[in-house]
Amino acid sequence: MKPLFRTKLKLPLLVLSLLLPVVVHAQDSRLQLSSLDHLAGKANQTVDVNVDERLMKVAAKVLSDKNADEREVKKLVEGLKGIYVKSFQFDNAGEYSAADLETIRTQVRGPGWTRLVNVISKKDGNVEVYLLFNGEQVGGLAVLYSEEKELTVVNIVGPVDLDKLAKLEGQFGVPELEIEKTKKNEK
Amino acid sequence: MKDDYLWDKSGQPDPEIQKLEEILGTLRYQPKPLELPEELPVSRRRNYFPLIAIAASLLLALVAGGVWLRVRNQSVPQPQHVEVVPTPAPIEEKKPQPITQKPVVPENAIAVNRRPHHKPVTTALSKRERDEGLAAKEQLMMALRLTTEKLSLIHRKTQNTTPASQIKNQHRVG
Repeated sequence: MKPLFRTKLKLPLLVLSLLLPVVVHAQDSRLQLSSLDHLAGKANQTVDVNVDERLMKVAAKVLSDKNADEREVKKLVEGLKGIYVKSFQFDNAGEYSAADLETIRTQVRGPGWTRLVNVISKKDGNVEVYLLFNGEQVGGLAVLYSEEKELTVVNIVGPVDLDKLAKLEGQFGVPELEIEKTKKNEK
Repeated sequence: MKDDYLWDKSGQPDPEIQKLEEILGTLRYQPKPLELPEELPVSRRRNYFPLIAIAASLLLALVAGGVWLRVRNQSVPQPQHVEVVPTPAPIEEKKPQPITQKPVVPENAIAVNRRPHHKPVTTALSKRERDEGLAAKEQLMMALRLTTEKLSLIHRKTQNTTPASQIKNQHRVG
């Protein structure tokens, strides 16, 4: 009976092993942020944004073409598969642990991810920007901001157009960032 | 004639029966050893296990695929319950939505609007879709606001680059 199992079960195992990569591939650039949910209980303020592809399309219908800002947002959102944000603000320092940060970092250490920028500042907090490259194209963006009393993770899934994102800077009361220049300097 | 002959072969036999015995006697059982032919066609038992294994693995793959698709479909609409911003304290200036300014359309009018397919999509938005869209838009704007806020911090830091502030660019992590 043993040789029977050894020989005959090879095929099903082979089939399953062929199917496995298909399932794994489905993960894409979407980060699992649910590991941070427990921080909501400690946080003074919590922002949890989950806009998937369908909602993005629904929102795009509402965005006005007449408004310049909304027109730019509409262009940026085209082709995106989701925007997910989790932001926690605490009353006291040390409410979140390094392990919480590590759960996100381990995900962006995967293949394809590139750390674009890492700013370390004791005064203003640390900001890390990661990009997921699918070949030449950007397939996703992750921003990890950690400060004594704040932890924010932004995950944009899909082909992020950095040029369009750069155009958004200066809007919503935010100054210009000039991502384009940063990119060119790196080259 | 006695019937005993038919019973135990005793007594006087009937000639007619004797005649029948002679005729049928040639067909009597002759004890002799069984002779098997030299080359007996051996029919091998067909082993169906590989076929069963293939069928089982395909079935398993189909079931796994179905489960995966179902889980995927279920997980996709989950975030559609438009993210809530549970803030015990006021987060930031939350602009009041101009939802109240929406024209209140009677139920009948909505039903009429849904019928014609040739109408533009923008006008075909139902009340629910519009509400959902506005909520999604608000969330989208909030997400982009937060994103650009954090990116602007990088910009500020890169503008005020000092030896104390470390900036590392383009580290391949994966």
